[in-house]
Amino acid sequence: MSSLDERVIAIIAEQLRVPVEDVKPTSHLVDDLKADSLDIVDLSIALEEEFSSDGTELEISEEDAAGMQTVQDIVGYLTARGVQ
Amino acid sequence: MSAPNGREPRIGITGIGPVTPIGVGVEPFWESLREGRSGVRPITAFDPSAMKVRIAAEVPQFEPERYMPPKAAKRMARFSQMAVAAARLALEDAALDLDRCERERIGTVINTGGGGVTTISDEADVLARRGPGRVGALFVPTMAPNMASCQVSIQFGLEGPAVTSAAACASSVYAFLEALQMLRSGEAVVVLAGGTESNISPLGIAGLANMHALSRRNDDPTRASRPFDRDRDGFVIGEGAVVCVLEPVAAARARGARVYAELLGGGRSSDAYHITAPRPDGRGAARAMRAGLTSAALEPEEVDYISAHGTGTPLNDVAETRAIKEVFGAHARNLTISSPKSMTGHLMGAAGGVSVAATALAIYHGLIPPTINLDTPDPECDLDYVPHVSRPAAIGAALVNGFGFGGQNGVVALGRNQG
Repeated sequence: MSSLDERVIAIIAEQLRVPVEDVKPTSHLVDDLKADSLDIVDLSIALEEEFSSDGTELEISEEDAAGMQTVQDIVGYLTARGVQ
Repeated sequence: MSAPNGREPRIGITGIGPVTPIGVGVEPFWESLREGRSGVRPITAFDPSAMKVRIAAEVPQFEPERYMPPKAAKRMARFSQMAVAAARLALEDAALDLDRCERERIGTVINTGGGGVTTISDEADVLARRGPGRVGALFVPTMAPNMASCQVSIQFGLEGPAVTSAAACASSVYAFLEALQMLRSGEAVVVLAGGTESNISPLGIAGLANMHALSRRNDDPTRASRPFDRDRDGFVIGEGAVVCVLEPVAAARARGARVYAELLGGGRSSDAYHITAPRPDGRGAARAMRAGLTSAALEPEEVDYISAHGTGTPLNDVAETRAIKEVFGAHARNLTISSPKSMTGHLMGAAGGVSVAATALAIYHGLIPPTINLDTPDPECDLDYVPHVSRPAAIGAALVNGFGFGGQNGVVALGRNQG
């Protein structure tokens, strides 16, 4: 697992209050990790805060946030946005 | 409050859940009241060094996840977490098996003065520093005052009415009166009633300190809350929640439950006078006490004890003493009066919950908690406030006073369980 995977998984576990070992790359946020729409918004804010810290502001649109269904989706999205 | 007429059910307090600065759970809470321990300490919730007031009565080491799942705790501000913890403790204390209850007729009335003021302050800071996109989706459903009742309803599956109203420092006295109406009307068969408050934050302290409402005895915290004392200089802000289980005495008897005390009635009034100061003559408070006596079908001479609002502000304690004298006349000298705020600090929206719980326990145990720090009585406060040490006494009937900024006055009448 890459360090980006690990950072994303740590944020998801913290935001959704689930054990970190329960969060797999294939985990579905809603079906597996029991997130609801409020969780998705706050997860997206937490990701913005985490990945804006190196001088460039990351902004995740509501449409993009709604499209993220699995942990892999988030990692893929962040990678496409140039997050290392 | 309509008077008992033989048809309305008698209502008992069968469970007490205190989450307070002097104890969490009935036993620690009662032990501290009995022993006259102060819960006032230097503030730890934030660095108070820039504040005029640097002391408060915090609930030490409160761990919400002992009382609810972690994700539920994340979705609540501290005032709601404390309400849920208090409700859990109250249900356990009442030994009420919810699976054997008609959940659609279990009501929840948990009031609060400020609700999530601290959450509002924190998120306003996020808005200013990081912009509107970063304001949390949980902001609104965590700060809203009704979440104290609604979270208790959600966590325990209570499907009757869930109500929250605000009456500043009289809020939780009003909660017991609302609960009494729900039970007497038959709208509910069990009600979880009480109050919650947790706003020991820079914003909360600064506002109250600049009003000159708070004691500035920063160097001597345990002696800062001194109701009726000549040298009192304001109240000490406290946090916490107290929830009680209320149900008809007949139902409690049928399930073999202990009844701490009966809720006999109550009264309300408004000063219609000032946004913070009480009427100096105590007339509004007196009317609420009279209404409480009438509602409970009590003669003044039948009252043995008053749990005073007794905040330790210069104005309250004199006005309250005048009000008691006006209502009770010569009998005022026979009354025992004490203020739990001398120990717990002022839990504001939860203060009435503290006082009702303390009074129910005083009736049950036959012991009146003291007013600590009453070293030199104010000459205008010349009644028996049970200074320093608790006192054994059989209490047949008692009043609990709660008065709020804005001039809202509330009184609950409690009595010994008649079996």
